[in-house]
Amino acid sequence: MTLEALLFMVFIFAVCLGGFAYSLYLSSKNK
Amino acid sequence: MRKRELFASRWGIIFAGLGMAVGTGNIWRFPRIVAQQGGGAFLIPWILFLFLWSIPLLIIEISMGKKTRSGVIASFGKIIGKNYAWMGTFVTFVTTAIMFYYAVVTGWCLKYFLATCFQDLIKKDSLEFWNSFTSSWEPVLFHFAALGIGAFIIYKGVVKGIERANKILIPSLFILLIIACVRSLTLPSAFQGLNFLFSPNLARLADYEVWLNALSQSAWSTGAGWGLILTYAVYSHKKENPVLTSTSLGFGNNLASLLAAVAVIPTVFSYFSTQDFSHQKVLEVMQADNQGLTFIWIPNLFSKIPAGSFFLALFFLALSFAAFSSLISMMELDTRILMDAGFSRKKAIALICMCAFLLGLPSAISMGFFTNQDWVWGLGLMVSGFFFTIAVIKYGPKKFRQNIISTPDSKVRLKKWFDILVTFLLPLQFLVMLGWWLWKSYSGNPDNWFNITSPNSVGTVLFQWVIALGLFILLNKIIAKKMLSNKNDS
Repeated sequence: MTLEALLFMVFIFAVCLGGFAYSLYLSSKNK
Repeated sequence: MRKRELFASRWGIIFAGLGMAVGTGNIWRFPRIVAQQGGGAFLIPWILFLFLWSIPLLIIEISMGKKTRSGVIASFGKIIGKNYAWMGTFVTFVTTAIMFYYAVVTGWCLKYFLATCFQDLIKKDSLEFWNSFTSSWEPVLFHFAALGIGAFIIYKGVVKGIERANKILIPSLFILLIIACVRSLTLPSAFQGLNFLFSPNLARLADYEVWLNALSQSAWSTGAGWGLILTYAVYSHKKENPVLTSTSLGFGNNLASLLAAVAVIPTVFSYFSTQDFSHQKVLEVMQADNQGLTFIWIPNLFSKIPAGSFFLALFFLALSFAAFSSLISMMELDTRILMDAGFSRKKAIALICMCAFLLGLPSAISMGFFTNQDWVWGLGLMVSGFFFTIAVIKYGPKKFRQNIISTPDSKVRLKKWFDILVTFLLPLQFLVMLGWWLWKSYSGNPDNWFNITSPNSVGTVLFQWVIALGLFILLNKIIAKKMLSNKNDS
């Protein structure tokens, strides 16, 4: 696996997982 | 009068919404589309359209459902006037037509899960098994079983049925996908697949097809514009924030798609590395149609890996969970509409099951009919999304944002960019998609593109759309009166 692909994978997962986790976090605070 | 049931907690709508969004399309369509569109580069526009199309439409739907506390048809009537309720009727019909054949697909997933557990599917010739299954009476039986299970869940109600089922199905689905990813990544040469999936070949971004496929995948996979999340929002709490719920669903859906791609693509690469096949052959397999990849190739692939039977059962269990969680949302959409018209939940479900069984039969029996319906109403979702946009434009984007989306206590509020997005970008995306589809259809088949008897032509799509739209506009007064005059609040 190339370094470029590895970094891109980390970026895409960070966007999706980070966005999901942050939205859930804000939802739980917004009660 | 019974008081309307609401989700037991704030997480209820998030689990139910994730169940609605994460369906078979994430597991069998997404990996195929990524491979077709050249891997990594596709992921950039796919993420971009999550923000430009899917999340705004989800916000609109949730806000409409929460404000009107009514199903799709009455929501359109209450927001933009009863003369436009036919738009909601069309949205409802498109999703219902999809539900008829989606129940058939759910039945296939169930059959394949059981066949892996009890019929040693992994040792059989998968093409022969698929052909003998689809030409037998079994798809009808499993179509019936899928509707029966779905009906049982929604009959139990919003909290004890939909919320409880999704609280089990969705975490289980994510766990199954993670296990499948771990198995896939521990196979020999799996990293070749990962390299293909995440290499951002930016030159591919000059190809307009990559952008348009990314838009269609994002729109159809998140469930934006189907009217499903609008229906669930009817049961949401007053403090529910449409923006946060929409972003949770959008990102959660994309995460499930990525996990599915990591589970499938490296497995395909690993299989072919042991067969000494070329990179081109791998792409050919990934470009097989939906049924081809899932029900013919996947059993083949798993037959070559250690503990393949166990992991194949796990794969079809995940697929069945995804299918059921989406099927119940489609059944609930129609249940809500009939309850708006004055039916009790029990009677509404009985009627829906009977209609869905009978009208799904042609798809269960004939693959040609199935393909035609998938084509016609899958594309119809594009129009459904556009109707939601029109509703907001007609109501006034600023007024909609300030009066319907925002609640006095919401900490996350939308700014003026939402008005610009709804007024210009959403209609522009619809027109480009429609124009691209018409152009591709014409240029790919100039002699037969408008033949209404051909299952995949523009003619058959427009013919069925026009009949449905014409009928709903003609009957609008009667339908709108029935939907808007009933006081059933349960």
